[in-house]
Amino acid sequence: MVGKRTLRAAALLLVPVVMATATGCWNRREIETIGFVLAAGVDEAQEEGKIQLTVLIAKPFAIGAGMGTHGTTEEKPFWVVSSTGYTVFEAVRNLLSQSPRRPFWAHNRFIVVGEEFARKGIGDVLDLFCRDGESRLRVWIVVAKGAKASDLLQTEFELERMPPEGAMGLLEAARMGLSTVGEDMLNDFLQRLEGEGIDPIATRAEIVPRPQEFDIRGELKREKIGGSLRLTGAAVFRNDRLVGWLNKPETRGFNWITGKVRSGIIVIEKPGEEGKFIGLEILRAKGAFKPEVKDGRVTVTVKIEAEANVGDIQGFIDLFKSPELWASMERRMATVIENEVLAAVAKAQELGSDIFGFGAELNRRDPKKWASEFRDRWDEEFRDIDVQVEVKAKLRRSGLVLRSTRIRK
Amino acid sequence: MSKVEGGKIPGRQLMAVLVLSRVVPMTVAFPMMTELQVPQDAWIASLLGTLLSIPFVLLVVRLGLRFPDKTIIEYSELLLGKYLGKLVGLILIWYWISVVADVARELGEAYTIAIMPETPILVFMTVTGFLAANAARDGLEVVGRMGENGVWVVLFFLIVMFVLPYDEMRFKNLAPVLARGVRPLAAPTGTVVSFFLQFIVLGMVLPYLNRPKDAARYSVYAVLASGLLMTWLTVVLVAVFGPTVSHLAMPAFSLSRMISIADFLERIEAITMGAWTLSSAIKLALFLWASAVGLAQVFGVSRFQPLVYPLGAIAIAFGILFFESNLDLQRFLQFKNLGVYSLMVTLGTMGVLYLAALLRGRLPLGPGVRR
Repeated sequence: MVGKRTLRAAALLLVPVVMATATGCWNRREIETIGFVLAAGVDEAQEEGKIQLTVLIAKPFAIGAGMGTHGTTEEKPFWVVSSTGYTVFEAVRNLLSQSPRRPFWAHNRFIVVGEEFARKGIGDVLDLFCRDGESRLRVWIVVAKGAKASDLLQTEFELERMPPEGAMGLLEAARMGLSTVGEDMLNDFLQRLEGEGIDPIATRAEIVPRPQEFDIRGELKREKIGGSLRLTGAAVFRNDRLVGWLNKPETRGFNWITGKVRSGIIVIEKPGEEGKFIGLEILRAKGAFKPEVKDGRVTVTVKIEAEANVGDIQGFIDLFKSPELWASMERRMATVIENEVLAAVAKAQELGSDIFGFGAELNRRDPKKWASEFRDRWDEEFRDIDVQVEVKAKLRRSGLVLRSTRIRK
Repeated sequence: MSKVEGGKIPGRQLMAVLVLSRVVPMTVAFPMMTELQVPQDAWIASLLGTLLSIPFVLLVVRLGLRFPDKTIIEYSELLLGKYLGKLVGLILIWYWISVVADVARELGEAYTIAIMPETPILVFMTVTGFLAANAARDGLEVVGRMGENGVWVVLFFLIVMFVLPYDEMRFKNLAPVLARGVRPLAAPTGTVVSFFLQFIVLGMVLPYLNRPKDAARYSVYAVLASGLLMTWLTVVLVAVFGPTVSHLAMPAFSLSRMISIADFLERIEAITMGAWTLSSAIKLALFLWASAVGLAQVFGVSRFQPLVYPLGAIAIAFGILFFESNLDLQRFLQFKNLGVYSLMVTLGTMGVLYLAALLRGRLPLGPGVRR
């Protein structure tokens, strides 16, 4: 029998051994050896059947340098680099032949897809982003209209040195202030792909060209400024293939129906005076829809409640004196909303893509009827759905003035 | 025969270790989820499975209380005679060892899949196994206290996980209810029950309760508490992941990755890993303890402590050898494999023992047995 003392001594001897071996793990990564991917783009490669992956990697030393006394440095704080492979994973690994730092995906915010690639279906490239442990499901999916993803990733912003930061800001601002962007993160996108009677959307982005010779306002000290990025609505998918686009009003129509409108400006014509407009700011909105089956035909009733404030008025109005004017402004506001909704529905029906999830809602309400009558022929049925819109529009306040300034002639 | 285990634990510690051991197949792999054909009905399967498990647990308690100071291993010898009794005991010990093996493997898989793909899986399994074995060697009181303290931490982690992804929850995903009837729910409900059957380990713990009359109450509480937690988790999972939920290898882990509060509180999957590690370690300790004490009693060894490390080492080796890949493990956890195996072992042994008790009801049960 070994004495307690001996055991204790042995345990003490173990301490340095443990200290020496337990300092880290197989998978430790020092921050100097990894490159943070902030956005990734997917295009078709030139070689047949291959995928071109473009990533935007942060350059940490250039970020810090920008904070010095000189204001900005001439060095871009990011690096855009492409590689190819038959699968996204292969392309990611192939980056290692160009990047001395191993790409690290946990901070990736965007998956950008070029239009051409998106039209052929993006299902196959999304797999890695949900399978891999580093990447997240909270990634925005952006489709570059009329451009390649690799070009979109070269765009820059005047107000943000790091383009993905700028794009995040833009996206947040547009979602909160305009409600004219399609907003689907990878998690929603996958659910819409998998769900019955519902199709995915994504954010639509375009490149705004900015030739340097003509634009000196707020100039960044660089050799060459690329284009900038603009969010212009939503990309509509059928299954995993891009089939078309919603422009900004149509996208807001989509957001009205799905209850995602947060704010935005509704412009109406001024009652009683041609060529003058009134801008209304949406305060809050609710949207809901209810599909019903009557005699084998589907009717969807969309109900929208919106509240707005008067933002600005062209020409003179004495709101104080004419309550009927107030009511007519509300009616016009309701009409604008209705038109946006109908435009979105018409476009979706034209593209044959149930982005609203009318079918999914039908399934929720009457799963038996859905399975027996509609599931297999929803594509055709969706195109002839009759959509009724009921809008309750309320104007609440008119800002700090009750009467506009009258110009004495 | 001297007592192999001399400790006594209160009922709430029993409840804590039982809840923790049921939490393991929710936070690591969630086998019932992968079997769902109709994800929106997951909560029904979970609730149904929980309720169906209560009679079984009561059966174990009731039989156990007829032999107040005997473990299931000991009274099976009394009921079935020396050889048949020992055989039943060995079957149960084998079952517990296999539980240890797949819990250790699950934990290792979880770590390797989620964060450290290149680290050999054996590292996680041995480290946790060693930890658990140390606790088990110190006896039931230590395991019980570990459970009592650990359960709050795990509960806190779980509640954070269940509440914080509120931004991503779409409760619409839960409709329609029972669209395809109850038939597709059979397998997931069976899986839920099959994991509750592991509560047969109660048979080892009952004689060491300081107030045996608490046994039924706290065991049922444990079933209900873990069942409700599980139901809550299924609701949240379906709300967040919708129809894609059944694709996930580790739903709870993926869930915690969805948490993002104001772009500030995010990437907190460490809490899920905390829940895994703590609950798995305590579960391993409980089942290692049970199998070591059981083995000591079967073979009439006076101390169970020397058996713990070897049993742990064997179980971990089994954990490595049983499964070729993670897919193999996940397939094993499905109802048609583990479920059927658990049903056969637990219901089979309990059935035989209960029948024997009924038949011997009027016969003297031997020395030391009170009615």
